[in-house]
Order: sequence, then structure tokens, then C-alpha cells
Amino acid sequence: MDTTSPTAFQIRDLNSWYGERQALSKISLSIPEHRITAIIGPSGCGKSTFIRCLNRINDLIPGFRVEGRVLFKDQDINDPAMDPIEIRYRIGMVFQKPNPFPKSIYDNIAYGPFLWGTKKGPPMDATVEESLKRAALWDEVKDKLHQSALALSGGQQQRLCIARALAVEPDVLLLDEPCSALDPIATARIEELLLELKKSYTIVIVTHNMQQAARVSDVTGFFLMGELIEFGETKQIFTNPKDRRTEDYITGRFG
Amino acid sequence: MKVGHQERRRMLANRYRTDFLFRICAVAMLLIGLGTLAVLLIDVLMDGAGKLSWSFLTSFPSRKPEQAGVLSPLVGTLYLMLLTAALALPVGVGAAVYLEEYSKQNWFSRIIEINIANLAGVPSIIYGLLGLELFVRAMKLERSLLAGSATMALLVLPIIIISAREALRAVPSSIREASLALGASQWQTVWNHVLPLAFPGILTGSILAFSRAIGEAAPLITIGALTYIAFLPDGLLAPFTVMPIQIFNWVSRPQRGFHEIAAAAILVLMAVLILMNALAVYLRQKYQKRINL
Repeated sequence: MDTTSPTAFQIRDLNSWYGERQALSKISLSIPEHRITAIIGPSGCGKSTFIRCLNRINDLIPGFRVEGRVLFKDQDINDPAMDPIEIRYRIGMVFQKPNPFPKSIYDNIAYGPFLWGTKKGPPMDATVEESLKRAALWDEVKDKLHQSALALSGGQQQRLCIARALAVEPDVLLLDEPCSALDPIATARIEELLLELKKSYTIVIVTHNMQQAARVSDVTGFFLMGELIEFGETKQIFTNPKDRRTEDYITGRFG
Repeated sequence: MKVGHQERRRMLANRYRTDFLFRICAVAMLLIGLGTLAVLLIDVLMDGAGKLSWSFLTSFPSRKPEQAGVLSPLVGTLYLMLLTAALALPVGVGAAVYLEEYSKQNWFSRIIEINIANLAGVPSIIYGLLGLELFVRAMKLERSLLAGSATMALLVLPIIIISAREALRAVPSSIREASLALGASQWQTVWNHVLPLAFPGILTGSILAFSRAIGEAAPLITIGALTYIAFLPDGLLAPFTVMPIQIFNWVSRPQRGFHEIAAAAILVLMAVLILMNALAVYLRQKYQKRINL
């Protein structure tokens, strides 16, 4: 394990259920700060459920229940005293399918800062430009900021969603299979972007693309049927996995 | 099993015949529906078209059919609909937002759901009785425009709630997640994103509900709306009459002249209805374009 980096999330014995069905069992791991942590595993293994536990976005799902501790900077985010809105403000999220608001590019970025009090006019213009630049989208859209975001390509939409998440200046960026709907070129651009962003953000990315995990992440966790099978430095996971099931999965021997 | 060429031709011929028969049946059904409507329209047009004139629209009802007009019922209907919309839309949309966006799914919310569906099917005269007891007597609103529109609002409320819920449900949850993930509260998510997207659907459903209400006479007669009014309502508490009541009144008179102006009044009512629907279609198109661009 990388010991040089402080911890962003400490997860201890996390269990969760959708109604009667258990989705996660006994997950314990530490997510380092300013690193990219990849969560890999086959479909339905609980990796999306896991990442969605980190900013309480699962609160919205009827019948969802969670047990155990998710400590973010030593505070339990599932503590009733914690405000889910504040948590989501500090822990941004990008979803599997690009989900821009059906509004202009500008308004998409401006919505988050608007919620948190950025004034209209020059301050907002500056925030929008800054966010789009950080998401490496500015040059492509600077002349059409007031056109609909839905007119952008899939890859641009996803970078817009990343820019939108960055606009509220979160500490953490959670990405739930952000490239699954994108072509390889758009995927490469997003990966480049993530490597750039990890200087300032803690990043957790769920992916079912193992090459992607190997390319971008520092730390990798392998999930299988709601359990964390192995967690460690990406290099070690991919070259010298300790668990047989991890090896089977990454070498493609899985059924 | 291999089917020979002759055999296959025979089977196909049978299938084409069934196909043809079914098509004939479907067209016949369509003609029954459309034909009835056409006969109705032609009948009304033949009786009433000659009586339509500007002065018919601008005169008050009268004891003499040749001088009578629909000014007070027409204005009454328009006022009543505006007021009904003003009362029913916020309540209906608010209830739908609560049920769709806030309430937890449990036995209680299911009971509410079933009850709303049932209320949509309650005969309108029952709403009239409720309005009579509640608005006219208990709240002492008398036979006023306000009491009438409150009763009508009750009548259309279940339909508005149901259609608004459908419209809210059609908004993809990815939009809600996008907003909440930025730290928006649930109210901000609903107000800034979900409601604007659901608006065209809510509008369509509501206009359909108002189209039903505009032709209702029974609940208003129950609360005691007047049938003969020779002045325009001058406030929320003024007495009023509406087109269906006026038509009902004229049709039930023995003189032939009143039957003709009743037909003319029906034409006016249908024109109002078509205008309302056209407005709904126009607003919906305009709004949807803004979203899809």
C-alpha cells in the first residue's frame, strides 16, 4: 500500500441492501488522498453501489439500506448529524451516462456555483471558464457557450459533466464508469484529464475496463459478488495478484 | 416441417383474407365514432349556424329568443375556467410533486394513490353536493363564482394529480442525480430541473381536465348557479352562469327559437374548447422545442 499519502476515505465493514437483497458485504478499505483509486469487477458485483455510498446519492433509492462506517476525513458520512447536501458538495460525482441538463453549456456549469452563492456576471463567467479549462473542454466550446449542451458529442458531454462537478470545487471526484458510453478517443481524453486532475483531487473511478484501471489508477480494488476480493497498488494487482479470483478476472479467464 | 409451394399459397391466402377482414372491421369502428360526431355537428350546425352573429356574443340572455345572447354565460365560463385553473393547478401539481418526489413508497402512499384514481371516476354531481355543503354553506361563499370554481377545482384535481405524476415520472432520474450531486436540495432539484421538464406533460393533462370541466353543468346546478343572469360577474363573490347551464336552460324550453339559439351556444362552447386545446398544443410545442434544442 502507498503509505506516503494521507487517507481520504476510511471504509469499515460496509454492508448494504436493496430491499432484501444484499449488495455489499463487509467492505473495508482506505482510499488515499490525491490518488486515483480504481474499482473493478464484473457487472453486478456492487462496484457502482459502493461508489454511490461515498456521497450518499443512494439515499434516493427506495429500500436502500446501509450499515457500517464510511469515514471521510474522520467524519462518518452516514451519521444522521451529517448533512447529505454538504457531503455531495464536497464529494462530486460523474455518472455512467453523460447527464447534462437540457440547458446551455454555460448554464450547466453555472448551476452548481449558483447554488453555492457565486454571483451572476463576471464572477460566474470566470468560474465557468476556469471549470471548462480544467476539464479540457474550453477550446472546443468557448464560442458556443450559450448553445444547448445536448448538441455536444458524447465525449464532450461527459467532459462537460466533469467540468460541472469541478465547478463547485469539491475535494473528491467520484466517477461511475464515466467512459462506458464513449469511443476510445473520447476515453483517452478523459483518462488524460483524470491524470491531470489527481494533482488537486482525490479520484475514485469505477470501471469494467481493466486496461483503463491499469492505465490511470494508483490503487485498485477488485469486487466480486458484493465482496472486496483484493485491494492494493495497481501495479501489484495487475502483475502479481494475491487472490486466484483476481488473477482469473484480470487475465480474462472469468466465465 | 417443410411446407410445399401449393400448401404455402393456400395458407397465405387465408392469412391475407383475415387481414383484410380485420381492416374492414377497424375502419367500420372508426366510421361509427366519426360518423356519430359528424351527425351531431351537422345537426347542431344546421340548427344554430344561422343564429351566430356578433350580437349573439355580445347580448345578455333574454325572454325573447331573437334578442338573446350568450355574453354572461360565455364570460362566466371563461372566468370560471381561469379561476378553476388558478385553484387546481398549484394544489394538483403540489400534490403530485409530493407523491412523486418526496413520499416514501409504502402502504399509506398506495392507499392515497388508489383513492385519487377512484376520485377521478366519481360522478360530477357528487362534487356538486360536496361543493354545496362545503363552499356554499359551511364557508358561506353563496352561489358565487368562487364557490363554483372551487367545486370545479375539486372535480379536476384528481385528473391533474394523475397526469402531473405521469409527467414527473417521465423525467429521467439521471437529471435528479445530476442536480443532487452538485449539492442542490430536493426542492431546488424539483424547481430548477424536474418541473420545467415535466411542464409540457402537466400542461397537456391539465388542459384535458379543464376540457372536461368546461362542459359540466351538473355540479354547478347543484351548488345553485343561476340560469338567468343579465349582468357580468364583478368579483369573486358575484353570482354567475356558464354555457352548459344556459344551453340546458334553453333546450328545456318549449319554443323552437330557444332550441336554435341553444344550438348556436353549443357552437360557441365548442369554439372555446377548440381554442383552449389549440393553445395547449401551441404552448407544449413551444416549450418542448426549448428543452430539446
